[in-house]
Amino acid sequence: MSFEPKILGIACNWCTYTGADLAGTTRLEYPQNLRVVRVMCSSRINPSFIFRAFQLGADGVLVGGCHPGDCHYNTGNLYARRRLAVTRKILEFAGIEPGRFRVEWISASEGNKFAEVVTEFTRQIKNLGPQNKFKISQ
Amino acid sequence: MTSSFKSIEENLKAEAGKLLESGRVEIVLAYGRGYDENHPMPFVAKHPSDVANMVFNEYCIHNLARYLVRYPRGTKIAVAVKAADCRAVIQLIQEEKIKRDDVVFLGIPVYGMKNPKTGEIIDSKTTCGMYNPVLYDVLLGEEVHGQKIVSPYDVLADYEAMDKEARWAFWKKEFDRCIRCYACRKACPMCYCDPCFIDQSKPRWGDKSPQSHGNLMYHLTRFHHLAGRCIDCGECSRACPVDIPLYLFHKKVAKECEEMFGQAAGMSIDDKPALVNFRVDDSDKILE
Repeated sequence: MSFEPKILGIACNWCTYTGADLAGTTRLEYPQNLRVVRVMCSSRINPSFIFRAFQLGADGVLVGGCHPGDCHYNTGNLYARRRLAVTRKILEFAGIEPGRFRVEWISASEGNKFAEVVTEFTRQIKNLGPQNKFKISQ
Repeated sequence: MTSSFKSIEENLKAEAGKLLESGRVEIVLAYGRGYDENHPMPFVAKHPSDVANMVFNEYCIHNLARYLVRYPRGTKIAVAVKAADCRAVIQLIQEEKIKRDDVVFLGIPVYGMKNPKTGEIIDSKTTCGMYNPVLYDVLLGEEVHGQKIVSPYDVLADYEAMDKEARWAFWKKEFDRCIRCYACRKACPMCYCDPCFIDQSKPRWGDKSPQSHGNLMYHLTRFHHLAGRCIDCGECSRACPVDIPLYLFHKKVAKECEEMFGQAAGMSIDDKPALVNFRVDDSDKILE
């Protein structure tokens, strides 16, 4: 059986989540590997969510937020950008493939982009294979 | 030319005595006698007569900024600071844990501090490699000049060049040795959260028993919490009973923060900590 990755998507309520809705209503197809969690803003994301997701068996984590400057709360994603950049460096230095973690800015009108990003990210994670480094062994 | 440890000790006693007698400060944080010469301890002087018990020698490595946050706000405190400790106090001022007016910096410019565990001189390999305090009210010796200037990040080169699998194996081995005594957290001047995320049970962020997944969660999150705030004093690694080279990871994160956000922690009281700040023109490249 081919490897079907588990991907955690953390999406901001105002842009990416609505973009995902749009992708759905316009009947765009994208892989089913993504499990989306909705948060009110990308700056709501505690970096521990990402570490924890990897520990609980996620093969990849995709974070979606509004384009910088378009944040519903004006500056949330600007803080998130700095914070998640650090998260990325930490994952990288700890030795996990940096390709497993990705941040994308997807607006509410970009249903196409959402589907494209998910398709491409899923393909990338499939190539990387299962994530066993952080995963808690049973 | 550097001042001798003896003369720094004399100056420290004199200045601390003056400050306590004049009532400018209520407390002086400095070093006192430990169980032997090689193990001095942090010392709190509250009365001019306490000053006689102060010592300063090459083993006074503790970062006294750690103890500042333990006193109620508004307590007037004088604190003896070496270069990295001074940056820690500045960082605490940036984070509004203490006020500039409440602190008197007794700056100690010094080269040749030794780690009592190994006897080695502490330099840029394990710390920020600075010898003169960035900011001080009173300087207790002559400024150190003429030491070779080495970037504190040079030591990272070997680890950055490692293959990611090898680096994972390296960190896994190191973190698996962790016994979760939390000495790193106790020694760190920037770890003042109450409760610490790892002590929370709702939500439970990570396992508290010393097993690999809990250790990984604790350390990675701690590195993240100290991103842009760690002033690279190296206290965590010196406090560690199993000698995990935590300073390497802290240095790496500090380096990346400096490159991405253009500011090092604790260099000026006018800065804002990098991660509670942003610039509209931050590049999206930092996420790639």
